[in-house]
Amino acid sequence: MVIESSEPFIKIKNVFYTHWNQETPTLKDLSLEIQPNTINVLVGPGGSGKSTLCSLFNGEIPHLLGGKLEGTVFVGGQNTNDLAVKNISQLVGHMLQDPESMFATLYVEDEIAFGPENLLIDAQEIKTSVNSLLELIQLQPQRNNLVWNLSGGQIQKLGLAVILAMHPKMVVLDEPTANLDPSATRSVHELILELRNQGMTILLVTRELDDFILSAADQLLVLDEGKIIANGNVQQVLKEFGSEMLTRLGIWLPETVEIGIALRDRFKVNLDRIPITVQETLHVLNQENLLRINLKLEQERSANRTLLPLSNPLISARNLEFTYNNGFKALNDVSFDIFPGEMLAIVGRNGAGKSTLAKLMVGLLKPQIGNLSLFDKPAAKWKVESLSEKIALVFQNPEHQFLTDTAFDEIAYSLLSRGVDDPNEVRKQVEDWMTRLDLLDFQKIHPFALSAGKKRRLGVATMLVCNPVVLLVDEPTYGQDKEMTQNLMALMESIRKLGVTVVMITHDMRLVQEYASRVLVMADGKILYEGEPSNLFCSEELLESANLRPTLLQELLKQYEDEGGCVCCSISTTDDFLNALEYSLASEDQYVN
Amino acid sequence: MSTSEHGLVFENRKSYLNSVYPLVKLAWVFVVAIGLFIYRSPISGAVMFLTILLVAMIAGKIPFQQILGSGKIIFGLGLLLMFFHFFVDPGNVVFKLGPLHITDNGLLQGPIFFFRLSVVVLASFILIWTTDTRDLMVSLTKAGVPYRGAFAVFLAMRFLPLIQKEVDAVKAAHSIRGKPTNSKFGHRFKLWRRYIFTILINGLRKAETTATSLECRAFGCFPTRTYVKDVHYKPLDLILLLVTILISGGLIVAERVL
Repeated sequence: MVIESSEPFIKIKNVFYTHWNQETPTLKDLSLEIQPNTINVLVGPGGSGKSTLCSLFNGEIPHLLGGKLEGTVFVGGQNTNDLAVKNISQLVGHMLQDPESMFATLYVEDEIAFGPENLLIDAQEIKTSVNSLLELIQLQPQRNNLVWNLSGGQIQKLGLAVILAMHPKMVVLDEPTANLDPSATRSVHELILELRNQGMTILLVTRELDDFILSAADQLLVLDEGKIIANGNVQQVLKEFGSEMLTRLGIWLPETVEIGIALRDRFKVNLDRIPITVQETLHVLNQENLLRINLKLEQERSANRTLLPLSNPLISARNLEFTYNNGFKALNDVSFDIFPGEMLAIVGRNGAGKSTLAKLMVGLLKPQIGNLSLFDKPAAKWKVESLSEKIALVFQNPEHQFLTDTAFDEIAYSLLSRGVDDPNEVRKQVEDWMTRLDLLDFQKIHPFALSAGKKRRLGVATMLVCNPVVLLVDEPTYGQDKEMTQNLMALMESIRKLGVTVVMITHDMRLVQEYASRVLVMADGKILYEGEPSNLFCSEELLESANLRPTLLQELLKQYEDEGGCVCCSISTTDDFLNALEYSLASEDQYVN
Repeated sequence: MSTSEHGLVFENRKSYLNSVYPLVKLAWVFVVAIGLFIYRSPISGAVMFLTILLVAMIAGKIPFQQILGSGKIIFGLGLLLMFFHFFVDPGNVVFKLGPLHITDNGLLQGPIFFFRLSVVVLASFILIWTTDTRDLMVSLTKAGVPYRGAFAVFLAMRFLPLIQKEVDAVKAAHSIRGKPTNSKFGHRFKLWRRYIFTILINGLRKAETTATSLECRAFGCFPTRTYVKDVHYKPLDLILLLVTILISGGLIVAERVL
């Protein structure tokens, strides 16, 4: 959709903004316009200033966050400098990255009513508004629930309802789907589309650009080092900056877009538009006579992945059950094995029991019913401290694990606690890990002062330095950009090759597809599937029952075969697909008979 | 895991205490506390301790396990305080334990202090367990407290279970890091220092975000605000207060007469 220039709802001109505690500006000569009733998607690498930019729209800057603001910010035709925050909040609502921290009351319906109550709106009117918002976000049954008993997806939806209750004309959503399972992500995206259809203006900041939201977006904005380096129609931006977004900026784009850009750049296909959906990609492949091909790889990357070991399992669970004190049954008749040297992914919807399983494996919880054997010894007989020498857990929030005042000391602490006390040896090992994880320049920095991505890497380093037999990572790539994700996963892959078992709990199906040798799918405390990732992606029913979705690449491969092509090799990345296409085109029997 | 499995969370068990007007319960906690500071005998403290325990279990339908679970640290501290008084209060020596002397006055004062601490904390816990903090805020506002001040009380109580959840998460994360020193006490001290640091930092961050969110949701823009849910006082609510005053008063009189 080409945006016709009516009066923009947001007009930002030549803005420089410097935080009160910094010397250099975070936003630099930034100008942009947002038209009413549009979906605008903002992307950019970590630390590019996305969250700071979001704070401009609802007056947090300059009214609440202080700092130095130059340039002008017009919202609904009015300069935010001249408006009070309470008035701006009825024009623009800002949902923070962690909406739970926005909540001020205890119950779902009270939370939605809170804003309108402050505006002295009539109680009956508020009740009607709360009912319609609960219907919109599909949380009617949870209206009397405590806010902290909601699932991740429900928290995001409640956060949205909280700002919609103020009846703004525009909503700014800062990473609303971070850490949500794929189905919950889609459901939030559908809600965003519904809001646009109702006349709302949306600004969505996200790392998870999927085909759905990218197809629906009216404008794509790319932020880098505090500047908008590209903005406009999605196709226009993808065509002009797509390659740069993928390479230099490390932005996650849908796999279909990656393939489209590669078809143009590598295969010299003349494209009118970059394909976004699977159907569009198939259409391009068909046009270029690339659809009915025997896809083969010269050397299968996946063949390098570990084959399932036949040795004795390190961890073995049989009929495991676990119920919390409040009666919530987190695990129900769970049985599985974890073998040496494999990379196992545990996936499933929010609240499926994945974290409970992780806590049982590291000894933080003890099994109640069933058997759990850890390294040939019943879990009940292990002490947490002794077990930590064999199995390491990287928590979802790395800050919880930090114990010292510098990044260097944090890694050194792990070595000292394992009895390595030779200062030279400690320094050598710490520096080695800091170099491998790109942290060496930050060794004197307090762990709490690091960026989210660096905290995550430091958390991983504190565990890897102990040479565990099993490394358990909760959401390994949360908060990481594409390049760092690839580095981190390459590191995991390298330690796996050295014999370390890597268990990752994740919602990122691209990681599962690309790296996992085996996958465990959980839902409602039960294991629904245990086996190879490729088989998981074949079962729509299974994916649906676990709130998962196939990756776009898997969807594409399935439909590629439906259209008469043949996928004769294991393809787990877009590079595999493109290499297979290239290799097959060069071979003699390229076309399916 | 939900937070409700942690101790200090309101739960509507449809009990008599759940239905009592929040300000009456607040006044009740004060009455209980005043009585305990007047009692001269540990027997009065013990009677009040049992009374409050029964009130919690019968009128509040609070399981004994929950009371024990949430109160164990306070009861433990109370016991430490009691033993401290045994040894440090001046008086006639009735027992010698090496260099330590236990006095008759210490034996009397120790249990008094134990019950003071335990009963006041237990009564406060009952207030938290049985009172929707939102209702407490509304009733304080109705009593004339400016709603911004009343809301500060509400927010403080709201954050209690979240802080407890954070402490549990930090403790769990630290426990798998091992310990680099042989000194158990030194390590524990270091861990506690770090718990406080982590919780303080995260608490400040949360407070900052919540404050910004409140501003953006027009909190405090007007001198008053609408309350979609209202709370009402009933004469029956006073029974709790009157019975407690009678028991406490009876104990004070009995101490002086007997």
